[in-house]
Amino acid sequence: MKGKKFIFAVVLVPFFLFSCQSSRDSSFNQKNFILVNVANTYSSRGMQYVSDQVLVKFKPSVTEEMREAAIASYQSTTLKRISGIDVYHLQIPEDVSVEEMLYLLEQNPDVEYAEPNYFRRIAQVTPNDQYFVDQYALYNPGGVFGPPSSPQSGTNRADIKAREGWEETWGSDSVIIAILDTGADFNHPDLDDKLFSNGYDFINDDPDPTDDHGHGTIVAGIAAAETNNGEGIAGVAWNCKILPIKIVDNTGWSDVSTEIDGINWAILNGADVINLSLGGPGVSQSEQDAIRAAYNNGVVVVAAAGNDGVATYYPAAYPECMAVAATNSSDERVTFLNTATDPLPWESNYGSEIDVAAPGDWVLSLYPTSLTTPPFLPYTWASGTSLSTPHVAGLAALIRSIKPELSAEDIMDVIRYTADDVNSTNYAGRDDFIGYGRINMERALVPIIISALNPHK
Amino acid sequence: MKKVEIFLLSALLVLTLTCFSSAQEPEPQEQEQKLFNAVSISPGLGFEYFSRTIGWDDDEYTSKLKSLFLTLDAEVELQRGIYVRAVLGFSSSSYEALVFRELPVSVQLPEDYIKGFILGAEVRKKLIHSESLRVDAFGQFYYCYGIKKEWEVPDLTVEGTVEGRPTWMRAPVGLIFTYTGYETFFPYINLNFNKLWGKFNMDEIIQDLTGREEKKISGESSFCISLGFTFKLTESISFKSEASFMPYKEGTDFGILVKAIYSLD
Repeated sequence: MKGKKFIFAVVLVPFFLFSCQSSRDSSFNQKNFILVNVANTYSSRGMQYVSDQVLVKFKPSVTEEMREAAIASYQSTTLKRISGIDVYHLQIPEDVSVEEMLYLLEQNPDVEYAEPNYFRRIAQVTPNDQYFVDQYALYNPGGVFGPPSSPQSGTNRADIKAREGWEETWGSDSVIIAILDTGADFNHPDLDDKLFSNGYDFINDDPDPTDDHGHGTIVAGIAAAETNNGEGIAGVAWNCKILPIKIVDNTGWSDVSTEIDGINWAILNGADVINLSLGGPGVSQSEQDAIRAAYNNGVVVVAAAGNDGVATYYPAAYPECMAVAATNSSDERVTFLNTATDPLPWESNYGSEIDVAAPGDWVLSLYPTSLTTPPFLPYTWASGTSLSTPHVAGLAALIRSIKPELSAEDIMDVIRYTADDVNSTNYAGRDDFIGYGRINMERALVPIIISALNPHK
Repeated sequence: MKKVEIFLLSALLVLTLTCFSSAQEPEPQEQEQKLFNAVSISPGLGFEYFSRTIGWDDDEYTSKLKSLFLTLDAEVELQRGIYVRAVLGFSSSSYEALVFRELPVSVQLPEDYIKGFILGAEVRKKLIHSESLRVDAFGQFYYCYGIKKEWEVPDLTVEGTVEGRPTWMRAPVGLIFTYTGYETFFPYINLNFNKLWGKFNMDEIIQDLTGREEKKISGESSFCISLGFTFKLTESISFKSEASFMPYKEGTDFGILVKAIYSLD
C-alpha cells in the first residue's frame, strides 16, 4: 500500500460463487489513472504531426541554389531529400510552430506545396475506452498495469489477441449472452445500452435482476461492456447484447434448482451463449440435463472451472459445457504459488474436463454504481475463473455473430482448436491445466492463411 | 445462373446457328461429303496466361485469378469460312487471397497454383473478306476443371487440413478485324464481351470439426480488347501472338497468348 490514497476493497465471494478477488482503488480517478496511462499520452496531447518538421516541394523550375537559399532563409535544415518525389523533409526552428512555417512557405511562389509531417500508425482496432490500456487480458503490451498500489507486471502479448480479432468482427447485436449470476447494474454507464432486456430475477421471482452483489456486473462487463464509447472499459463482444438472469443471491450463493430455472429461461428468451461463472463439486443429473438441453438448442454454455486448486467443478465438468481455467498476465496458469501475495491466494482448478483458459487474474471490469461510493469509480479489478469465463463467452458470441450456422459443439471446437498452447514447454498439446490453451481471438475469427502440407506429418 | 451468363451462352448458341444457317447451303449430298472432308484441319499448340480480377461474396471482395495453360487444339474448317475448334489442355491457376469465411475456422488461400484440365470449343465465321480486311465473328467457351488440392491449417492446437477444388469458365463472344494487306503478317484486333465465372469448393477437416464452403467467383471485367498478329512462316506453319486487355472499374486485367499452328490443307 502506498498510503491512504489507495484502498483495496476486496469482493469476497463465498464458496459456491467463485471468489472473484477484486481490488478497488479509492483514488481511482482520472488524474491518477493517467499516471499509468502511458499509451494515452499521444492522443491526449492532440498532436497529429511532428511538432518541429515540415515537408516541402519546390517547383521544378527552382534551381538547387535557390532552394538551398530559401531553406536557409527560413532558418530550417534539411533532414533528408525524399528521392522520387523530390520533397524536402525540413527541421524548423524551435520558436516557430508548424502552422506558422507552413503559412510562410505558402507565401513563397517557388514552393509547390508544404505540409506537416503527419503521424501515421498501424491500422489496428484499438477502442477509445479510457481504461482499455489496463485491460491486459485484451491487449497486453507487457510491463506494469493495475492499481498503482499493487502493480502487476505482464508479458508482452500474453493476451487473448482481442484487437486482432476485432479487425474481423465486433459482433452482432442480435447475438445474446445470458449472464446467469447476481444480476447486472442497469444504470452503469458502460453497460446500460448493452442489455437485451430486463432479464429475470429467480432469487426474488420478479423481472428486476438488479445486481446487489457486484459479481454479475463484473462478469457482464468483461463479456460485453459498452466499447469504443470513450469511457470505462472495453468488452470482448462489442456489439452483442447481455441478458441478465439473476440466479445467485447477494451473498454469492445459488442452488441447482434456481440455476436450471435460469438456464431454461435463457433458452426460451433467445440466448446464444450462457455464461456460468459459478460451480461446485457435486455432480447433478438435472443440472446436466438442463445444460444438455441448452447445448441441443445450439446454445454455447461456458462455465468456470473453479478457484480452489482441485478437480474441475460442475457444471464446467459436463461435456456439453466449456470448462474455463485461468491464466495470468504472463500466460501462466494461476496457482497458489503465483498468487501468494494476493489478499486471497487462489488456484485454477484442473482436470481432463478443462477445455481452454483465459485471463482471470487482476482483470479490470465494471462494478455496480449502487454499490460504489465517491470517490470510487464504478470499476474494479477482480480475480478468479469467474473472470476467465466471460472472455470465452464473449468470443463464443463473436463467432456466433459471423458464423450463425455453426452448432454449439462447432463453436466450442473452434475455440478449443484455435487456442494458444501457452504451456507447451512443459505440457505439449491438450493438458489438464489449461486444456487446449489460452484462447486466441485472432485465430478464432480472422482468416488463417493456409500453407502447403508438411510431408513429414 | 446470372442473366449475363445466360445472355452469353445464348449469344454463343445463336452465333453457332447463324454460322451454319447463313452459310451457302450445299446440297445434302455435298454437305455430307463436306463434313467428312473438311476444307482444312489445323492442329495447334498454344500457351496462354491471364490475370483477372474476380469478385466474390456478392462482389464485396476481390482477388486475382492468375491462370496459365498449355493447350492442344484442332481447328476444322467445315465449310468455306466456318471454323470449329476443339481445345484440350492442362492448366495451373492461382486464386490469391480468396477467403473462406463460412468454414468453421476461416481460411485464406495463399498464392499457390492449382493444377487442372482445360476443355474448350470455339466457333468462328468469316463475315467479310475484302482485299485488305477480314472480319470474323466468334464465340468461345473454355472450362477449367481443377484437381483437388490439400493444404494445412497452421498453428492450431490439433492437426487441420482443407481441401479445395476450383472450376472456372470463360466465354468470349465478339468480332476479329484482321488486316490482310501483307503476305505473311496478319495483324488483328479482337473486340469481345468476355465473361468469366466459376466456383471454388473448399472442405475443412479439423478432427471432428468439419465444414464445406462453395464460393462463387466472377470476373470483374466484361469487355476485352486483344491486339495480335498471325505470322505465316511457311504455307503450313504459322505463329500467333496476342495481348489482351480487360478494363474494369478499378483497373485493367491482361492476358497473353502464344500459339503455333500447323495447317493440313
